[in-house]
Amino acid sequence: MTQEHRKAKKFGMVIDLDKCTGCGSCMVACMAENNVPFRENETDKLKSITWMRVYKLTNGKPYPKEEICYLPRPCMHCEGHKGHSPCVTVCPAIATDYDMDTGIVSQIPTRCFGCRYCMAACPYHARYFNWWDPVWPEGMEKSLSPNVSPRMRGVVEKCTFCFHRYQLALDKAYAEERRELEEHEYQTSCTQACPSDAITFGDLLNKNHAVYKLKKSTNAFRLLEKLGTNPKIYYLSSREWVRRAGDNYRPGEGTGKIKSHH
Amino acid sequence: MKIDRRYFLSLGIGAAAGTALSPLPWKSMDDSSIWSQNWPWTPVPPDGEATYENSTCTLCPGGCGITVRKIDDRVIKIEGRKGHPVNDGGICSLGLSGAQLLYSPTRLNGPMIKVNGSFQKISWDEAISKIAEKLTDLRLQGKSHTVAAITGSPRGTVPNLFKRFLDVYGSPNFLYPSSFEDSYSHLAKKTHGQKALPGFDFENADYILSFGAGIIEGWGSPVRMFRANSNWKSRHIKLVQVEPRLSNTAAKSDKWLPIKPGTEAVLALGIAYVILRESLFDQGFINNRTDEFSAWREGVLETYHPARVAGITGIEQETINTIGREFARAKKPIALCGRGEGRTSEGIGEIAAIQALNALVGSIGIRGGAFAVPEPDYIKWPEFALDETAADGLNQKRIDGAGSNQYPDTDSLLHRLPRAILSGKGEPVNAILIANANPCYTLPDTQTVIKALKKIPFKVSFSTYMDETAALSDLILPNHSYLERYEDVPVTWSLAKSLIGLTIPVVSPQLNTKNTGDVIISIAKAMKGSISDAFPWKNYTDCLKTTLGKYWNPLQNNGYMKISNYNPPEKMTKFVFQVPDKTFPVDPEGDEKVLPLILIPNDSMRLSAGSTGSPPFLMKTVSDTVLKDNDTLVQVNPNTAKKYGLKDGGYALLKTPRGFKKVKIYLSQGIGEGVISFPRGLGHTAYDKYLADKGVNFNELIGPVEDPASGLDVAWGIRASLTKV
Amino acid sequence: MSTEDENIKEVEAVEPAEDESSRLKSENPGNGIAGMTVLFFTIGFAASLIVGWIVFPNLLYSKKEQPIDFNHVMHMEEVDDGCESCHFFREDGTYSGVPKLDQCIDCHEEIQGDSRDEAVFVEEYISKGKEVPWLIYSKQPDCVFFSHSAHVRLAKMDCVTCHGPIGESTTLKTYEYNRITGYSRDIWGRNPENMLGLKKNTWDRMKMNDCAECHMEETGRKSSVSTHKDGCFVCHK
Repeated sequence: MTQEHRKAKKFGMVIDLDKCTGCGSCMVACMAENNVPFRENETDKLKSITWMRVYKLTNGKPYPKEEICYLPRPCMHCEGHKGHSPCVTVCPAIATDYDMDTGIVSQIPTRCFGCRYCMAACPYHARYFNWWDPVWPEGMEKSLSPNVSPRMRGVVEKCTFCFHRYQLALDKAYAEERRELEEHEYQTSCTQACPSDAITFGDLLNKNHAVYKLKKSTNAFRLLEKLGTNPKIYYLSSREWVRRAGDNYRPGEGTGKIKSHH
Repeated sequence: MKIDRRYFLSLGIGAAAGTALSPLPWKSMDDSSIWSQNWPWTPVPPDGEATYENSTCTLCPGGCGITVRKIDDRVIKIEGRKGHPVNDGGICSLGLSGAQLLYSPTRLNGPMIKVNGSFQKISWDEAISKIAEKLTDLRLQGKSHTVAAITGSPRGTVPNLFKRFLDVYGSPNFLYPSSFEDSYSHLAKKTHGQKALPGFDFENADYILSFGAGIIEGWGSPVRMFRANSNWKSRHIKLVQVEPRLSNTAAKSDKWLPIKPGTEAVLALGIAYVILRESLFDQGFINNRTDEFSAWREGVLETYHPARVAGITGIEQETINTIGREFARAKKPIALCGRGEGRTSEGIGEIAAIQALNALVGSIGIRGGAFAVPEPDYIKWPEFALDETAADGLNQKRIDGAGSNQYPDTDSLLHRLPRAILSGKGEPVNAILIANANPCYTLPDTQTVIKALKKIPFKVSFSTYMDETAALSDLILPNHSYLERYEDVPVTWSLAKSLIGLTIPVVSPQLNTKNTGDVIISIAKAMKGSISDAFPWKNYTDCLKTTLGKYWNPLQNNGYMKISNYNPPEKMTKFVFQVPDKTFPVDPEGDEKVLPLILIPNDSMRLSAGSTGSPPFLMKTVSDTVLKDNDTLVQVNPNTAKKYGLKDGGYALLKTPRGFKKVKIYLSQGIGEGVISFPRGLGHTAYDKYLADKGVNFNELIGPVEDPASGLDVAWGIRASLTKV
Repeated sequence: MSTEDENIKEVEAVEPAEDESSRLKSENPGNGIAGMTVLFFTIGFAASLIVGWIVFPNLLYSKKEQPIDFNHVMHMEEVDDGCESCHFFREDGTYSGVPKLDQCIDCHEEIQGDSRDEAVFVEEYISKGKEVPWLIYSKQPDCVFFSHSAHVRLAKMDCVTCHGPIGESTTLKTYEYNRITGYSRDIWGRNPENMLGLKKNTWDRMKMNDCAECHMEETGRKSSVSTHKDGCFVCHK
């Protein structure tokens, strides 16, 4: 009964920062999809759980030379070296893991015991700790999705690339006697919701997927590549200051092959 | 036998060994860990069959198509509907939070009446007869004209049921909040001889000159605008944003012109000057389709030399020349206005100046240009008879002065209602019906609005939620949520071709609510006579089906319908130049000497500033440079801050002629000196703990400033001061 | 209930321990203190084994009766498509699980036969439109994503492999649940050897290790970087 292996995937995302408007749809699409809890005061952003967070970058110049760029930040699903992403390496509970079949960094909150090593290890602040038990106002728990398990106090949670959508898409494919998915069958909630089509999601190894081509753009960059995290989120920006903000260079180092389009 | 320590130890060791060899410790440990991983108080959402239903979003006037994901009979997610002509799969953060509104504890459950200051539940029959009795009473006293109604918009069957009810009852006072659409509509009356809505074919335009329109901040139909903007980026279409503040739209534009607030129309005429001087205009269009060109040209050339315009607007002369040339040389340029979300109206003179740019380059009534779109006219109800009382009542003057000799082309001036109530003798308004609107939050000079409304002896709210206006009412007849009811949604906001959408009951009513359409029909029927006769429908669904006629089936199947393939009649593609008068820039309210700063509002997709309160998910997206704990942050240039001794994150007292509030300072290079900006959508006093008492409501700090031509409130900002506290 | 059965096993399990104690005794002949020590040790040892193997499981599990009884055999005779006639896959590949009233109503609108359970079913549930609150023996915690589609459609496994011959039952067994975790005893196993991690049948236990073991054997996937087994997200959500 041993089955032949499904071809290994490496799911990743390309986010076009020229198109991103900072509207916040991806953030809410993520919250609504993943039963993300909310509290009375969400203005302490270190404690506010947002698997997908849109950061605002500025070029630091005085009025009216200031420029703004919004940067959506999901989990980077770092591959590191052979799957040894920063968080996976430090987890003492195997609550977070790297899957070579999908390239997804999994997070199993029920296994987590809340030591928060992974949060310290993650250079992207993509991980969030549940300081409180989630509480939904009376009646609103009806809006919770059964596809994602609500988390409890004392565990870490983060973006999963909407892995449950992959599970559900595979269910459908298996029922139709297929093993492989079409590109459109597995898309994350944020990708689907973005009204500006700034987010593209797919298999970075599959030549037929949009992300394969997009990540090769000369405008493409990843965040903090110099740390060797080998992230799977690529960003596109035609603005040099934005690409530099990705901080891929040590002090004094040039911008390398990235060319300015201005 | 003496049991000594040794035996006791031995017993203990034996017990320990035995226990270790039994499942007790291992199984308990395992079970405890399983228990601690699945606390019984962590909710487990029940699984079931997943289904999807298409409907229309009504949380803003955008009219997006939505696909509602359900598990059994629970709504768990709202997504953008693929293939929908407005949003094609995209969706905004408010629309995405819809399930939180459906299941919100702030929803009203059943009709309520206020007795001695607190609400008590009553039955629907009682509530309806209470209204019927009260209104009948007022009519018998000849006071029918002192009854008013406010609806969120004048379009669609439900607002029209209110209007019809007032007509046959005998009151001219049908009110609704105005927006930039009303200014355009006003201008259309002058240039096309009939009222029309603004429409823009952004998808096919190739140069966009926006005078403050928050293209990606909720202007028009927001998701449609997002898609258009994204499309411009792919096609390398230039977007020029004229705005005092580095808004998201300005940040995403190819060229930001940081203009002095309120002087946008002056810049438009400066640009027109360049086009005229260099004869870059579309001679054919001017000759064949326009009137009053020479007079207008003379006026522009006389007054709006770029050098002078540069002085007024703060935009360099060379930039004005460049933009003028670029705009005129583009194949399909569009100029548009409507500051921020377009929630406030603009002066007719201003709109005329900006629309004149479209006329100059022939971008009116053609592909990739601006359109005058007639009001949707699918509502054709049988004529009704007015009895004598009604005829008398209808002949009375409107309370807000709209439609009077001064403003014959204005339909509603809601901002005037509070003053009219407070300054009128006796009781100018004896009863008011408020549906799909929250004037106690959204109207400028909110405290005065609340004071005025409190003076009305009989206030009826049809709100779905316990909002500020409902809390103030005497009687509440809660409407179904938009996910529980049928209703037509005429989508007009900036679409080149209007559309009718339909909301469908995706779930059965969760609470004891009734469709407001049904309630109005029931009230009319309870009042008998000519009033009852004017409402020949069995119920609201019957009314809707009859109204939509042959459209009903396609609408039910498809969820939306384009209103025929509209080919504009010739007069709608013409333009009559309006010789610029001296009505702008409109000065902001306040004394510059005492209040040296100018306060302008800013809109964001992350806060709902309209009648829908922001749900918890939306509040989570709000930046900590907008709201921190319960304080609103005001955006201030560091130089301004220095001048007044203000620090980033420090407190200050913000004063305007309408009031003062304690705020926090957010230093930013995205705004010029002397101008400060304030987020709209905060400072609710109603709703739940996730929204109430967070920040300050901008509307409390600003008051209406009227456009002399239309009477519409065109306040875009107000004078202010900041003092360190 | 297998208490009696457990008792027998109990004695067997205790035997080697007794050997041990007698050995100790023989090494110290004539020493009264040592003899007493051994005796106390044995008492403690035996008592704790009894507590651990008999008292504890009895305390740990509580019993609940199903709201009404159900005869799988009788229903299997009526349907053409085996288990999937009632426990079917939805169009989207998800699994419907325990049938809802909608599926029963066609035949059970009126009382069939004269069983008391049938009468209760029709009167209390069907006619009131109330779903039967079945107690599900194989219910997994919320963090588990179990794909019936992957096992039944893709891997072509039989229902029996995990659920046992429940289709051959004429009556529903008593539902036992763990007082600590709240989960069904069938997950951990009803038989004593299950407590030691052993099982006779594939369906005797359905804990994570059992899933992982089978996944290891059947798929051979080692894609998890931390465990060199199948990835966590394959079965978790």
